[in-house]
Amino acid sequence: MFEWSEEQLMVRDTIRRFIEAEVVPHIDELEHGDLPPYDIIRKLYATFGMDQMARDRFKIQLDRKRDGDAAESPVERAERQGDGGAAAMTLIPIVELCHYCPGIVTAMGVSVGLAAGTIMKQGTPAQMERWGLDLLTMDKVGAWAITEPDSGSDALGGMKSTARRDGDEYILNGNKTFITNGPYADTIVFYAKLDDGSDTPIRDRKVLTFVLDRGMPGLDQSEPFRKMGLHSSPTGELFLSDVRVGKDHLLGETEDEKKGSGRDSAKGNFVTERAGVAAMSLGLIEECLKLSVAYARDRMLWGQRIGDRQLIQLKLAKMEIARLNVQNLVFRHIELSAAGKSLTLAEASAMKLYSAQAASEVAMEAVQLFGGNGYMAEFRVEQLARDAKVFQIYAGTDEIQVTHIAKDLLNR
Amino acid sequence: MNVVVCVKQIPDPAAPPSLDPGTNNLIRAGKLILDDSDAYGVEMALQLVDKAGEGEVTLVSMTPNGETSGLRTALAMGAAKAILISDDSLAGTDALGTAKVLAAAIKRAEPDLILAATESTDGYTGTTPVQIAEILGLPSVTFAKKVEIDGGSLKVERQTEAGYDEVESPLPALVTVTAGVVEPRYPSFKGIMAAKSKPVETLTIADLGIDAGQVGAIGARQEITDVSASEERASGEIVVDEGDAHQRVIQFLEQLKVL
Repeated sequence: MFEWSEEQLMVRDTIRRFIEAEVVPHIDELEHGDLPPYDIIRKLYATFGMDQMARDRFKIQLDRKRDGDAAESPVERAERQGDGGAAAMTLIPIVELCHYCPGIVTAMGVSVGLAAGTIMKQGTPAQMERWGLDLLTMDKVGAWAITEPDSGSDALGGMKSTARRDGDEYILNGNKTFITNGPYADTIVFYAKLDDGSDTPIRDRKVLTFVLDRGMPGLDQSEPFRKMGLHSSPTGELFLSDVRVGKDHLLGETEDEKKGSGRDSAKGNFVTERAGVAAMSLGLIEECLKLSVAYARDRMLWGQRIGDRQLIQLKLAKMEIARLNVQNLVFRHIELSAAGKSLTLAEASAMKLYSAQAASEVAMEAVQLFGGNGYMAEFRVEQLARDAKVFQIYAGTDEIQVTHIAKDLLNR
Repeated sequence: MNVVVCVKQIPDPAAPPSLDPGTNNLIRAGKLILDDSDAYGVEMALQLVDKAGEGEVTLVSMTPNGETSGLRTALAMGAAKAILISDDSLAGTDALGTAKVLAAAIKRAEPDLILAATESTDGYTGTTPVQIAEILGLPSVTFAKKVEIDGGSLKVERQTEAGYDEVESPLPALVTVTAGVVEPRYPSFKGIMAAKSKPVETLTIADLGIDAGQVGAIGARQEITDVSASEERASGEIVVDEGDAHQRVIQFLEQLKVL
């Protein structure tokens, strides 16, 4: 794959039209105001039939779970046979949205990918029906709560939130922070350490996964944080004070740490999430490059367009190199998925590390190329530069990617 | 309820167009896209078929080079199939020649209703749809801003300069729709994926029993004799405020008779 196919281009162009009509007119409210992105995401889902596709997919997953996971899951089949190019259909809207509002992708990805994904993987059929479907269709908003004030990259080991048994119920306590969709979430996937009264050191205790509903007694969802960028993705804190839940809120309704639950479920999202950040970086880089080339052509100084200056040309050349490299990485991921292969942990982490750094550098260079105008919101590159920075922080910091690459290479 | 929509595939208006210096015709080589003005007819047809609860939407189109990209867009929106008349001899066909070819293809589909745009975005003659109706011996209603099917008859609100006329007609009939008639849907992802396997029947003019002498540059009764650049828009008037700017703005608006 060296370019998008005809069919993929049709998807891209259609999404572009939608974004120009439905997202661009609201950019100021999304990025400089407090407009939550959910109605726009729901419109995106309804317009392109993504809600119906989610319902169809949900039914297959639910039937399979009822059969005791006997049949091959769509994910397993895709891993064996290839996904027929489905990865591209997921990634193209991500690339296109990141030309304008990477935050929308984050809000959508966390709700559908992380919150719903975890419930669908670990939940019982009843839990899937109760919470999964509404999240997959974006009728409801989901949050995925793992990070705490004292544990970011060390989220599982350093976790302090607790789940204490009380008869047939659990009492949950703890604080979570940097929670995407936290302020608006209807459904929250909440990770906590089992406090069974034993002497097991807290680092080694079982990690249990619960589902919480908005408005539960003892659950507080903060207002959105003020933050550097990514304003179209509301981020907040969660405070749990003696939140009492029944076993029906414990995902899988078991404390047994099966494969795919608890710690495993948190790690299972790495490859998908990291490939997603690469696609986000591609969209952001494409936009910065497009805006920069147009500005370098139009902006006249000393009677000459600035694009004729070699220092400006160097910036454009570096942006193009970054665009080509990131696009190649994204295309490779799509090709691997179509062939029924997946990235290794080292590859996924390397892809994320490189793409995130490239996006940040390109966006900051775009600001520099625009000079004073680049620092002004009207020219948009300042927003993209602020947004790009988080790519190096969330879904595993740059530093964590380095350790994952090295660990995977050294332990083979 | 079977509806045929006449659709045109045109060079992307976003790219600079070029004319053949010999014939003054628009160069149509390469990728063509669905004429935006046809998306309204496709959407109207889909809604009418949906409301009727049975039938399908068939696209009819003509192009010299076998291009189907624009048709795929309309198929992705939900049309069931397409008939494409593609023949080397079609290059340079005028409006009447086009109407003859499209009419012959439409006849094969035996539609209850034929929809078309009021005019194409690249040619703007606006004459082909009514010529098709005339050739097929069907009533034609132009400039529809609202279309309804009531039993076996057609009810149309027809846009006029003063407002609109309410028009009724028996079916089958041909209707041209304006951009105000409906809001075209975006193709869904599923629709885009399904479009590539929908049938596109490609016919030559011989398949339609049309003589090559009636189409193409040879059969054309119209000829583009000259092309000239349109006049550049005059630059606006700059008012320097010397304390009387507000009066001059009012004078300007009065001249335009908007005040």
